[in-house]
Amino acid sequence: MNKEDILARMEKAIIEGHKQEAETLAREALEEKMDLLEVIEKGYVRGIQKVGDLWERGDYFLPELITSAECMKAAMSILQPELEKAQLRAQSRGKVIIGTVEGDIHDIGKNLVASMLAANGFDVLDLGSDVKLETFVEKAEEENADFICLSALLTTTMLGQKRVIEILKEKNLSPRIKVLVGGAPANQKWAEDIGADGYGENAMKAVKVAQDISRG
Amino acid sequence: MKTFMASVAEKIENLKIEFDEKRILRLIGYKTKSIELKDPVKKLIAEEKQKLDRLLHPVSIYIILDYEETNKHPIFNGAEKVALCICTIGPDLETEIKELMSDNEMLRALILDSLGSEAAEEVAVQSDRILAEKAREMDLWPSKRFSPGYGKWDIQEQRYVFSVLPGESIGVRLTESCMMIPRKSVSFRINFYENKEFSTRKK
Repeated sequence: MNKEDILARMEKAIIEGHKQEAETLAREALEEKMDLLEVIEKGYVRGIQKVGDLWERGDYFLPELITSAECMKAAMSILQPELEKAQLRAQSRGKVIIGTVEGDIHDIGKNLVASMLAANGFDVLDLGSDVKLETFVEKAEEENADFICLSALLTTTMLGQKRVIEILKEKNLSPRIKVLVGGAPANQKWAEDIGADGYGENAMKAVKVAQDISRG
Repeated sequence: MKTFMASVAEKIENLKIEFDEKRILRLIGYKTKSIELKDPVKKLIAEEKQKLDRLLHPVSIYIILDYEETNKHPIFNGAEKVALCICTIGPDLETEIKELMSDNEMLRALILDSLGSEAAEEVAVQSDRILAEKAREMDLWPSKRFSPGYGKWDIQEQRYVFSVLPGESIGVRLTESCMMIPRKSVSFRINFYENKEFSTRKK
């Protein structure tokens, strides 16, 4: 099978959510000593981009997005150790620090956003849930992050999103580090009121907002 | 003639949870009216549903207070009595979701989470029906159910609900930030009115 065929099959495996096929092809790429960066960009990444397009057109829904993101993660976990050995890095769309704010332990929505961002080429560090507000900023500084994504599911804890933005301003890290907010009580107006750089109504919209910001 | 009940908390157990397929699909992200589910998704939903017998432990606890016994929050104004209720499906479903997420089974986790949300809502719906019936038995008119955090009833009022109801007796506790644990829990109030005009509930 020629290279173009393999890349097309990788793309298809992601679009159709075939995890085993995505994994098999990743192993094949290693055996065939293919150019791994090309495999990622022209195979798997194209697949996940098309999944995003299908979602925008209304043909795909959250379950399909998750399935494709899971396939992407499975393939990347096979390729990543070899990339590291070769001291190569897949092109990153930006470094993201993500977590659910202090006092709140809801995490499924945040995990979905983290997994969608990772599948779409962002370098994601998930701090988990009930994360101290200062920790978001400390980690973002340490990791030289481009984004902080803050999830809150309660009207009581969403105030933490505002506080993180204030801390960033106090430390002169704003506007370099962009802040995206999400969670049931948040909305576009809330994001604007507290000075966030974006609001993700759902996992895929969060990805789109991050992509738009990182493209400038 | 009104019957005045003693204000003691009582449990509602042995609730049977039925699922509305369409609502489940909406909760997992299918926002359109009709959708042809792909076989892998259909299979996952069926498999996660099979776990529910083992994972759901629906129970609620309620108390019916005379208005004078309440904290007289303005939201209770005009009510003869106030029913307060805490419902839960227990912690096991959330433990399972956590395990699924740590195994990177995000879609299964989302499906189970949606089933859990629907189940908790169903416990609230059934408890609400029982309490509305109790209002009618007392010759009073029940309002709709309202939860802390909605409308003019601030989320902080969760503390009041938990001060008059022993949530821990059904395994529910309140955090500093007024979140209930297990998360798949619902609390609400129903005002019982003498005057039918005050009731927001349709017959």
